[in-house]
Order: sequence, then C-alpha cells, then structure tokens
Amino acid sequence: MFHFQFTTVWNVSIDKPESFQHYHLFPKSLGDVLTTYKVKELHLSQTQGLWKHEKWGYPPEDAPPGDELWVWFQPHSGVDQTWADLVNALSGLFCASLNFMDSKSTVQPRWSFRPAGLASEFYSANSRFVRYSTLPREVVCTENLTPWKKLLPCGSKIGLASLLNSVKIYDGFYHSLGVHVRSVCQDTQCLTPATELKQTLTVVYDPTTNKNGKQDWSFQSMFDRTLQSQCPLADTRKIYVDVTTQETLPKFSLSPVPDFVLNQKRSGEERKIAVYQIGNHLSPSSLNLKAMYEEKLTFSNSSLPPVYANRFVTGYGLERGGVTCMIYNTMSSNTTVIFMETVPWFLRVYFSSLRIENDGKEIKPYKINFIPAKDRANPYQMELVFRLFANSVTKITYSFERAFLKWTEYPPDANHGFYVSSAVVSTVLPVASQYTATSQSVSLLEESFSDSSSSFFLRLHTETLLVSLPTPDFSMPYNVICLACTVVAIAFGSLHNLTTRDFTASDPSKRKGLVAKLKSFFKKEKESPENKPDSKEEEIPSQKDKDNSKSEEKDSKKKDGNSET
Amino acid sequence: MVLPTAISFVCGVILRLALFRSSLPDWLSTKTEVVTPLTSWGRAMEGLALHREGISPYSGDIFHESPLMLKILGFISRFSPNTINLIFVLLDIIQGMILLRIANTFGRHMLLRQATSVKNYHPDAKKNLLRKEDLMDLQFYVTVAFSFNPYSIATCLARSTAVFNNIILLLALYQMLKGNSFLSAVFVALAAYISMYPIILCVPVAVHYFLMSRKGGMHYTDPTAVVSYLQILGVTFVSLAIMLLFSMLFVGSWEFIPSTYGFILGVPDLTPNLGLFWYFFTEMFEHFRTFFICVFQINVVIYTIPLAIRLREHPTFLFYMLLYTIGIFKSYPGYGDVGLMFALLPLWKHVYQYMRNTFVTVCMFLVCTVFAPIQYYLWIYAGSANANFYFAISLAFSTAQILMATDLLFGFLKREFYLHNGDKHKLPDGTDAQIILDS
Repeated sequence: MFHFQFTTVWNVSIDKPESFQHYHLFPKSLGDVLTTYKVKELHLSQTQGLWKHEKWGYPPEDAPPGDELWVWFQPHSGVDQTWADLVNALSGLFCASLNFMDSKSTVQPRWSFRPAGLASEFYSANSRFVRYSTLPREVVCTENLTPWKKLLPCGSKIGLASLLNSVKIYDGFYHSLGVHVRSVCQDTQCLTPATELKQTLTVVYDPTTNKNGKQDWSFQSMFDRTLQSQCPLADTRKIYVDVTTQETLPKFSLSPVPDFVLNQKRSGEERKIAVYQIGNHLSPSSLNLKAMYEEKLTFSNSSLPPVYANRFVTGYGLERGGVTCMIYNTMSSNTTVIFMETVPWFLRVYFSSLRIENDGKEIKPYKINFIPAKDRANPYQMELVFRLFANSVTKITYSFERAFLKWTEYPPDANHGFYVSSAVVSTVLPVASQYTATSQSVSLLEESFSDSSSSFFLRLHTETLLVSLPTPDFSMPYNVICLACTVVAIAFGSLHNLTTRDFTASDPSKRKGLVAKLKSFFKKEKESPENKPDSKEEEIPSQKDKDNSKSEEKDSKKKDGNSET
Repeated sequence: MVLPTAISFVCGVILRLALFRSSLPDWLSTKTEVVTPLTSWGRAMEGLALHREGISPYSGDIFHESPLMLKILGFISRFSPNTINLIFVLLDIIQGMILLRIANTFGRHMLLRQATSVKNYHPDAKKNLLRKEDLMDLQFYVTVAFSFNPYSIATCLARSTAVFNNIILLLALYQMLKGNSFLSAVFVALAAYISMYPIILCVPVAVHYFLMSRKGGMHYTDPTAVVSYLQILGVTFVSLAIMLLFSMLFVGSWEFIPSTYGFILGVPDLTPNLGLFWYFFTEMFEHFRTFFICVFQINVVIYTIPLAIRLREHPTFLFYMLLYTIGIFKSYPGYGDVGLMFALLPLWKHVYQYMRNTFVTVCMFLVCTVFAPIQYYLWIYAGSANANFYFAISLAFSTAQILMATDLLFGFLKREFYLHNGDKHKLPDGTDAQIILDS
C-alpha cells in the first residue's frame, strides 16, 4: 500500500472569508469555493475498489467505494440551497458527477460525522449544518486525478506528486483520492485557528505481480518513474516505510539505506518506521526506493483488526429482501459503536423489522435515530448506537420492499441494479492495533508517531450493495396507453349508450345488411353525376337514414338473438 | 329458508377460521391483488411501530391510513396474532349479519316500491313482477355469495383493512333501505373519510331521501326537492369536516392529508395491482402526467351524473352501480371491492335472465383470478416473464368487471322496459320486433 499525503496549513481562519483574499500555497479555486459556500469543513473522497479490513487492517483514511462528501457549513439559513450550489461547484472542480448528490441521497447525520477540526460543542451537537451524501456508482479515473493534482502547490511536475503515474495507479487494486479541509490550531496554545488542507492518495497494489514470485517492489516497477526532484515550497519532504516485519518473516531489505528508523509507539502497538529525507537521496541520480525480499511470497494468517464489518443483501425475488450487517469485535473488551445507514427511498425499509442480535440474543440499542423516506424526496436514514460485546459477532438485520419506479427513473442499464451506499461504523478503539491514521489533533504523519493517547477514533465503511428492482417494459409506452384507454373506453361507451338511449321496438326488415348498404351507396354515387340537384336533396336524408340504420345495424349485431327473452 | 341460511353462514365462518390456521394468510397478505398500499396490514403494522417509537407515521411514505384508522388499528394490534385473526373473522361475521339485514330490508323495500309503481306498468307485465316468495330466499343467496366468495375470503385472510371500508358502505346501504337517510349520509361521510371515493354515494342517498318524502307529483328539480338534496349533502359534508377536524387534533397537524388523500389522488406509488393506474403511470411521460391523473380521477366520479339521471327512480341500484364504478376505476383497487360487489349481486337476481354476457364474464373472472398470481410470480420471482403479462391480466380483470357492470345495467333497464311496455312487441306483419337501444 502506498499512501501519499500533501498537507497545507494556512494560518487564516476559515470562519473569516475576508482573509481568503491573497493565495500563496493554498489553491485559489478551492478557496473560492469554500468561501462562497460558507464551508467550515469539507471532506471529499473518491475511491475505486474495496478496502479489505480483515486482511489489510485500517487505512489512513477510510473511504467507501465511489464518491463520499460530507460538509459542515457556517451557521446560516438556507443550508439546503447552499449544499445544492456547493455540490454543483465541486462537481465542476473535481470532474465528478457530484451534482447528483441532491436531496434524494443527502442526509444529516446526527451522531456519526462530527466535525474533525475545531468546532464549538454547541455547534457540533446540532446536525442542522452538516450534510452527508455518497455516490456509490461513481467511477474514479484519470479525469479525477488531474484536477486533484492541480490543487497541489508544486503541481504534478516536481516533488512526490511527480510519481503519480495515472496509468499505473489505476491499474491497482484499490485507489482513493481524498480532499480534507478543516480548522486546526496554529500552535500549541490554540488561540487562533488555521485552515488545513490535506490531500491524500492511497493506492494498493497486488504484491505478486513479479515474475519470480517474490514481493519485490520499487518506484520504477510500481510507478514506472523515479523520484527526481523535491518540492522547494514544502517544509517537510519525507518518505516513511513500515519496516516492522523486516527482521521477521518475510525478510526484506531496503535500498537505499534509510536515514534513520523511528519507533512508533501507540497503545497496544509498536511499529518501526524507516525515514527518508528526500533531499539526501536525490543526487547523484534520482531516488528509486527498492525493497528486495529474500524468499518467495507465502500467504499466512494475518491478525484480525479489532473491529470490522461485512454487509450483504438477503432474500430472493424482486419484491422484497433484507440487509444483514455483521460487525465483528475481536477485542477482549466491549465497545460502543454508532452504525449509520442511508438507504434510497425506493427500498422501503420496514422499521418494525430492524433487529440487532448478538449470539441469538436481541440487543436493545442505546439510541435510535430513524427518519423514514419520502418518495422521490429524501432517503431512509438510520443511526443506531449500541454495544459490541467482546469477542463476538453482532448482526443487524432489516427487511425492505422494492418499489416500482417510473420508466424514466431507471438508469440506462436498468437490469444492472441500483447501488446502496456503504454503512458507516464509527467507534473509539482503546488499542491502536493495525491503526494507521493520523490522530485528530495533529496534521502530519510524523507527529502521530509518538502518540500517547489512549483512545483512537475509527470510522469504517462497509461494502456497497447492488439491488435489482422490477423493471417495466421500456418499449411499451404507446401500447400501454392505448390498451388502458381502450378498457376505459369500453366502460365509457357502454355506460354512455345505456344512459343516453332508450329501448325501442324496431323492424329488423327495415334495416339492411352491411353489404346491401355499401352496394346502395355506390349505386347512388354512380347516379349522382346525371341528376345532381335532385340527388343532393335525396342524399342528405338517405345519409341520415344510413347513419341510423348503421347504428341500428351495430346494435343489432351486438344484441343478436335478443328479441326472444 | 332460515336453516340453510344459518348453515351457510356458519360454514363460511368455519371456513375462514380453518384457513387462518394454514399458511394462506401470510401468502395472501403479500399478494398485490388482495392488498394495496392503502389497505395492507403489514404497512399498517409498520405505521404503528413508527407511531410507538415517537416518529410520525405520516412522515414517511409507507403508511397511508387515516388517523381514525390509525387509532382503531392500534387498538387491534395490541392483541396476540391469534386474537387478531379472530377479530378479522368477527369483522366478517359483522359484515355477513349486515348483509342479512340488507337482504331482508331490500326485499320489503322492493315490494313496497313495486306496489306504488305497479299502476304505471303494462298489463302484460304481471309475470315479470316480483313476488314475495322470490324475495324470501334473498337472504340465503346473499349469505352464500358472501360466505363462499373467494374474494371476500381472501380479503379477510389477508387482514386487509378494506373490511372496514366494506362494513361502513354496507351500513350506509342498510340505513338507506331502512329509511334513515341522515344516518346513511353520516356513514357515507365516514366511508369517504377512509377512502375518498365513496363521497359520490351521497347522490343516491339524496335521491332516495327525496323519493321517500315525495308527496304528489313533485318533480326532481322542484325547489323543495333541491332543498332535500342540499340537506343530505350538508349532513355528509358537515360530518366529513368534523371527522377531519378530530383527525387533525389527534395527529397534531394537517400532515396526514398529503399522505392519505394526496396519495389517493396523486398516485405516487406504482405498486402493481389489478387496476388501470399503475402501469399507465409507469409508462407515462412526465410532461403529461398531471393531465392524465386528472382525467383518470375525473373518470372515477363522472359516471355519477348520467347514472343518477338514468336511474333516478331506483336509488338502490344507483348505489350499487356507483360501487362498481368506484371499485373498477379507483386508483388502488383490490379484492375487497370485488368481494363487496359479488356479495350484493344476488339482490338483483331477478335481472339475471335479461343479462347477455354472463358466461363470458364468469370465464374471464375465473381465468384472471387464477392467472394473476401465476404471472406475478413469473415476473418477480422466476424472472421468465415481464411486467406486460401481469398488466394483461389486470386489463382483462378490469374488462370482466366492466362487462359485469354494464351487463347488469342493461338487464335492469331491459326489465324496466318490459315492465312498462310489456314483452310482446309485434310488427304490423305479425313477426317479432327487435328491442334495441336507440336515441
């Protein structure tokens, strides 16, 4: 896994938009968007692939597949309109279809997405100013990497960003772009706030791509480039390699030799980090960091992370179904989690079917926040706070009914299905096992190496779901309208007939058969050129007779064998 | 005739109790032909669960019952599942007993009306007149029609809330036949409060009230007549307003109106059912949606006017005909409405001989009832059919209901013609004349 982090800290407060006038390192395009739309905190992630928590532990920034955006706004009225304008501006800035994050998929999480930066207690307890939305169907590609790179102070030509070869990156198993803007303290006294912009890129490559079966990697093999320059505008230019397992299996050696090795101690976890100062390694030739393994790759059991989750759809048929989420707690202590789900309106969730079970016993949650959906207006929002018992699996289940959409609401490939966004599990871990994120109070990776805190905030995203809905026949609008109106016309015609006409007795012999009528009609046509003036008068009453007898004919045809009752 | 009636009634009850023990109720409560988003028991339970949790059931789009029904269903749902089944069988028993009373009162009412109008009849029509003996076994036929009618049994087993609607409609009809027109108007208002469309039933109640209190040769458009119509309409609308006010006080705001009446009128939920609305509005272009919603909703109620003018002498039959038009053209029809129609059909058994399409209609009903769950299963579960199959069945079922309604009306009018003009119509040359509809 490669994780790039570019942090820009600007000593102005985001609460004062007038200070966002003169830009130096902070990107102007993003700064303009932030001030125009009164943003206090912004977190955008664009991910392709699924992070496997059971195998890989925790990523530095956890992100769901697709796009995820959550924003805290400055207190003002009309936040919904500001949100709609903001997603449109961001979709232009990042070349992603963020403008689809409308009210149909936007929620206001009450407990799950508290501000990550500085915020007052009163402000963050109120969920009026936060908006959260995801687009699970979004695909991330080069067009998203390019505007992301443009936000960097040094651009993509020099520095670590020059390694980012989009061809190689998008070959990877998992890649995640992140843009995080928040308020942080300027110094330890924290008298004035500063604005921090953190851009992250996490890439996971498949290890056994080498022909010789060994896990050897290098910049050249992974990125097809070597590091040739460093960004002169940056204060910190470092590369960190996790060498905790360097002496144990699998053994590997790094070339060039690292400048020094740090010990990262966090509660419950010790890691060895090799540090490279880029400036020391650029001459005489470029830096091509290599790791060479001594033996071929053997797969072994990795230790499970403290908390991880799986989610899947149950049931069969296109009428109803269920969703089950299993949350595993491998620690030996209980922990409280906040589970948040956003379900689109067309999967009608039955609140009465929501059940939390641990080993067969039902668990009553501490708090429930359930906001039912309004058709085509807002989605189902569910937040549960409950306890995860030690060394156990907790199962959350609920059932839903699939709605029938209008034919224009289906995506182009209607039978592919609809995506349901990931569930978010938030918890606070007492141990930092497999925890790689930076702590919330610092900005740089380096600053969290000597972390002495005893609680670590964790946010997990589960898998997205793919649900099929029953589809109508898309080729049939005209036929359907005709047939339905025909049935209505049958009723209308019969009732009209019966209510506007009276029964009378009539002579069947006075009415002619259809063939005879046609013959007499054509005979009259032949005669008309010879005696026009007379025939005109004749024709009009005969037309009337013909109409009458025609309708009589129709009625008699309908009511055959009727006079004998 | 008392013993066969009692036996068939008891058999019907035992049949329902026995079927409640099988897996049929669970299967039927998921069938979209029987339950609709308005009458589904599962949705009602969901609304109650939300209500108990403190979330307003009208804030979501699952629960669409009116607040009074919310209260009644909340009371019912407190019992155990077995007791709830018993309660629904009890509701069916109540329905059966009201039907018995209706059959009784209807027989007497028809004989009375015949006695007053027999002087207008053709002398030849004596053999077509109703006799007391014919009307004695009305009770038996009505009981059989209700007890063994698969549509009524399905509605009861599926715990559809349409049974409440049916009971109130039957009470309205019963009070109308007994002569308490104002009480009948209150029941009509209650039925309209639950499911909007029965408001048009205030027209037959008004006409009936006028006919009963008519002295001498008063015409339908006399000022006194109009006053009597307005009295009934006033009672209906005032009771409806009172009920709406109480609902607002119970829920706390007017938010239940978009969820109940706005839902019935706007048809946002396109769940398949045996009506004409769902597929039509699935495949409708957005541009024309409002226009066609208006057209279809007007179509439900517009037949009141011509039918009321044509059947002004027969308000009971008008009531029944309007039940047909509501049941066929409403936005979310179900088997509850069809069951009600079949249960009341034996009241007009003297008209059967004049109907023409009975064989075709019965065949269509049988075929559609059997085919509907099959096509639904093939579409939704097996994946080998598509929505068009189920749509075809819904069209055929609607056509069958329409044929039955228009056939019945035709037979009724034909019988009236024969009563007034005799049944022997000969042409000058001695051959039989044809009786046709002509303007």
